[in-house]
Amino acid sequence: MAGKVEEELRRLSVEMRILEQTAEALQARINMVNAVITDLTYANMTLEGLEKQKENTELLIPIGGNSFIRARLENPDRITVGIGAGVSVEKNIQEAKEIIRKRLEDLEKSRTSLQQQLSQVIDKINEDRERFEELAVMLRKETPAKDV
Amino acid sequence: MSEDLAKLPPQVQERLLRLQQLQQTLQSVLAQKQQVELELTEIEQALSELQKVSDDAVIYKSIGSLLVRTDKAKVTADLNERKELLNMRATVLGKQEERLRSQMKELQAKLQQDLAPISGTQP
Repeated sequence: MAGKVEEELRRLSVEMRILEQTAEALQARINMVNAVITDLTYANMTLEGLEKQKENTELLIPIGGNSFIRARLENPDRITVGIGAGVSVEKNIQEAKEIIRKRLEDLEKSRTSLQQQLSQVIDKINEDRERFEELAVMLRKETPAKDV
Repeated sequence: MSEDLAKLPPQVQERLLRLQQLQQTLQSVLAQKQQVELELTEIEQALSELQKVSDDAVIYKSIGSLLVRTDKAKVTADLNERKELLNMRATVLGKQEERLRSQMKELQAKLQQDLAPISGTQP
């Protein structure tokens, strides 16, 4: 009997370790998706702001380190959008906004699915932990005099 | 754990070690394969986007942090070339994976045979 309990404890401990690793990996992916969503949201805000501007408007372009260079808006309707694999294509502002909207939509879907997976994994970890504690108590009761 | 391992016959220890090595190699092959597949998916997406734009569309290719002007024909050819190379790499990695898995299966079967009498004698 004790052997069986020990075996299940061992199995649960391995399973919990794997589940914890899975949960960490899922959380890392959620963080990554969140970062891209923030980035795209900024891009969308910029495009929406830019749409209202006229040609030759004076701009300050961030170069990092909270520093800016002065520039003039040559053409507010030509936006260069990355399409992956290091390639960027020039689009008009509506097309660019549509591309960003579509990406945001896809990412929101991924985030929801990842969050669902994560909560399932966490539920399973909690379930395993409860069972583990139950079995540990059982084992202690069964073998009180035995030195370990 | 290492003490328990030392109690095993040397031949079994050696096989366990070999199995661990194979597992590590498999992990590394799988990681490389995933990377290649990821890049291939990205190239496929870029190629399908490129198909939608006109032949004289303004296109840039990133070189480090710069975007350099190029054209549809050139960038499509470049991407197709890269795709071909990656497909070849994916095939090689797939074969490596297959070989490693079969080696591991064989070794696991042997280890099961080795360990059956040992675990049988324990209470």
